Amino acid sequence: MNGVDLELARAHAPLFAVTIPLVGAALVLIAGSARLSWVVATVAALIAATVTADFAYRLLNHARPAVAELSIPLQVDGVGSFGAALVTGLSALAIVAVGAFLKDAGSRAAPFRLALLLCITAGWSGALLARDLAGVAVSVEVAWLAGVAVVTFHGARDRAALNGALRMLTLGGVASALTLLGVGLIGRAAGDLRLATLPIAHISMPGVASAGIAFVIVGLAVKATAAPVHAWAAAALGRGGAVAGLWVGAIGVVGALLVMTRLSAYAVAAPELGAGVSATLAVLGGASVVIGSVQAVGARTLPRLATYACISQAGCVLVAIALGSPAGFAAALVQLLALAAAALAMFGGAAVGRIRDLAMLDGFWQRAPLASVAITAGTLSLMGAPMTLGFLGRWRLIEAGVGVGWWWAPLLVIIASLAGVFYGGRLIERIYFRRANRTFEGEASPWRFAVAPSLICAILTIALGLAPAVLLRWSDAAAGMLTGAAT
Amino acid sequence: MNAELALWGVLSAPVLQAALVIAFARPPGLRDVIHIGFSLFAAGCAFYLVGAVAKGEEARIVLAGPLPNVDLAFSVEPLGALMTAALTGLASLHAVHAAGVVRAKQEKAPARLLAFIALTMAGVTAIAFSANLFSFFVAYQALSLAAFPLVAHRGDEEARPAARAFLWTLLASSIGLFLPAMIWTYAIAGALDFQPGGVLVGRVDVVTANVLLVLYVLGLAMAAIPPMHRWLPASSNAPFPALVAVQALAVLPAGGIGVLKIAAYVFGPVMREASIAATGLIVLAGVGMCVAALIALSKRDIRERLAYSCVAQSLAVVMGALLALPAGLFAAALQVVALACAAATLLMAAGTTAAITGRTGTVDYAGLGRVMPWTFAGFAVASASMIGMPPFAGAWAKLWLITAAAGSGLIWAAALAAVAAMLTFAHLGPLAANALAARAPTDAFKRPDGASILLAAPVVLSAAATLSLLVLADPLAAFLSPMWTP
Repeated sequence: MNGVDLELARAHAPLFAVTIPLVGAALVLIAGSARLSWVVATVAALIAATVTADFAYRLLNHARPAVAELSIPLQVDGVGSFGAALVTGLSALAIVAVGAFLKDAGSRAAPFRLALLLCITAGWSGALLARDLAGVAVSVEVAWLAGVAVVTFHGARDRAALNGALRMLTLGGVASALTLLGVGLIGRAAGDLRLATLPIAHISMPGVASAGIAFVIVGLAVKATAAPVHAWAAAALGRGGAVAGLWVGAIGVVGALLVMTRLSAYAVAAPELGAGVSATLAVLGGASVVIGSVQAVGARTLPRLATYACISQAGCVLVAIALGSPAGFAAALVQLLALAAAALAMFGGAAVGRIRDLAMLDGFWQRAPLASVAITAGTLSLMGAPMTLGFLGRWRLIEAGVGVGWWWAPLLVIIASLAGVFYGGRLIERIYFRRANRTFEGEASPWRFAVAPSLICAILTIALGLAPAVLLRWSDAAAGMLTGAAT
Repeated sequence: MNAELALWGVLSAPVLQAALVIAFARPPGLRDVIHIGFSLFAAGCAFYLVGAVAKGEEARIVLAGPLPNVDLAFSVEPLGALMTAALTGLASLHAVHAAGVVRAKQEKAPARLLAFIALTMAGVTAIAFSANLFSFFVAYQALSLAAFPLVAHRGDEEARPAARAFLWTLLASSIGLFLPAMIWTYAIAGALDFQPGGVLVGRVDVVTANVLLVLYVLGLAMAAIPPMHRWLPASSNAPFPALVAVQALAVLPAGGIGVLKIAAYVFGPVMREASIAATGLIVLAGVGMCVAALIALSKRDIRERLAYSCVAQSLAVVMGALLALPAGLFAAALQVVALACAAATLLMAAGTTAAITGRTGTVDYAGLGRVMPWTFAGFAVASASMIGMPPFAGAWAKLWLITAAAGSGLIWAAALAAVAAMLTFAHLGPLAANALAARAPTDAFKRPDGASILLAAPVVLSAAATLSLLVLADPLAAFLSPMWTP
């Protein structure tokens, strides 16, 4: 490939971010065998991650990358590119880990599951790069339904997973209806569904438009596991198995939150919608922090604990978005990266150790030291321990909150951190200071290499907590571009 | 060697020590040599830093820049240098003693115990040299996490809940109270640096100053101000080497250092504007001193008695720091040093006694001084220092405290300190006297060869250290004067 071809390919990066996973999914289905399909899926995920990372790098460093004019309704903005790079990067890591669990639902099902995973990646990337609300809604549905199918596949191993899948389908269906209704109302009130024109649109019916955006936000909140509309999360992620934990719990939740961040940035810039959007997000965020924290403290299994801890963290993200300022959006992006890394570390570590009940963590350090390190780093980040990415995200939220006079925002952060001390302390005590339960001592790790992605996330959590300058610059640039574009 | 190198040395030596102790857990001789050797090295670096500060040298280390305008940084200043020198000096004695105790008592997982003791020393050193509130907060959290395994060391049904209470109290108060205060300070001042004269000067109104002071002082649960003192009695079931680290050398002194740094480097003259909160906290500290000393009197286990005794003594530090006078700050600084010397001596003596005789009940101490004269001589000297009897270290600290309290018009605070001293006499004086004067028990020793030099010598030497303030009080006042004269 010569330089001209390379530049041409780079100009089509947004298109490739969506199509490469889809093409990969098709090839995976053709490949047939479990192992070969995993190799194909890994290659596709890595290519997608490289393309989006390269594009985001150039965009966020103000290199003004060329973007080809396409008839497909895609649009590039700061949060979209940051988010697409994050989602595809996470997917590439998760698909490596998934190699260890491919045969959980039978080797014949493996290609189908891998294809669904790539559809999840394509769906969330599409939603983050979509030009209009209809594109966002369709892409989100693709990702969501693929997620439901992933959870359903685990029903072959654990029937309880079907309950989770049914809940996802039911609640997701209601959420989709709300989203579509909201999109329709916004279209009716603003006369245009394009995101870029939303801040400057002449909104003839502000009440209708406000109701519309509220419906869209609540619909997405269901998929982002925001409380109190998170009833599917524990059932699906607690019993859906390792693959569901990684793809729905980590990538799905982060993807939904990124889409909410992007939409909110456009919506708050519209004078008729801003206050309503902020209030809705603030209520959802506050409820998520409080309810997620309380439920995490009471959780009895590691997947449920990780789910609820992520809900609490998601609440902090929503509060940051609700601020509506560039600093708030930048804080949200940092927190989303922290959430993604922590969720992948925790769900991945739990999957490698085949951990369900917390009692199985007793003496885990002696059985699986690397997975223990990953879970510990994820826990510390979710606790908001200093020198982790989680602390940085919360600090940025506090700074942004105090900056606009929202003094209750630090209070929510402190609630999340206090709960984190409780459940995090319990996890760490079990992992390092209890004797290994003999029942679990003999259980071997499914595949040692599967812990690598979790470990990478753990390292990322600490490294970016120690030296966050680049991350802060990029998150500020992404938020600045989006809010600049929106206003 | 220069000051920066010494600062690197004193901060990194305990971490390296912990790693090497774990790596060379066997043979025990090598493990103990590493433990003692690195403790001595850290103490050497700390004493070098005292000299460097006296000569006006400066040193600053920036480890990371995790937040905009806020570094994870450590710098040399008089208070940090003095405290580190005192604590690491005592820690090197304790390293010898701990090596003896883990052998005599055949403690389980001795390498882990010694490693976490080293990590707690790293934590308190980082606290002492922290250059700003953020670094202080990070070091505080790290110290809490490093001390948790010490309290949980036995791993039984008694130790686990105690360790959870310990960790929960320390972390919850720091996150729930100290962190908001830190954020508030950052919002007001736009910086978190410790600076003589106070970072808040000219930036806060009366209400803010009062609320911030309450948040900071209660958030520093390591200072053991009621009701945040629960962690200290909870830790009293830990093995003796761990107790020395927690109650004498690392966690409790860290609370005292924290209160001093907040009073001197965050508030400074603003303490006068926070007089309502300060007075309330002084009442709490004064009454807490008396009640803790009274509770100590009721305890029959030496570990519990010493735990409450340490609470009472630690509150004297809080009282001194809140008096808003240079004399009060100096009294508090002396009290941290005096408490560390006396508490380390008492706990090491009790550890020696438990290792050799298996006795931990105060009623069983009668006459033991006749069969363990060196150990109980040290115990008696340290008790006298805790009580505040001249010429031992505690006397000078209490003298300055009472003078400062009277000087600031708080005669009642001076009276409370005096009452607490009398109650301390009641719970330690007769115990020491009875141990020395009563008839020797016929079945004193569990171990036929008695106490080894590893167990007796550190007690005697740390007891001797309580005499140090007799000659050092005036030079220390000059040394610490940059704290209150920016």
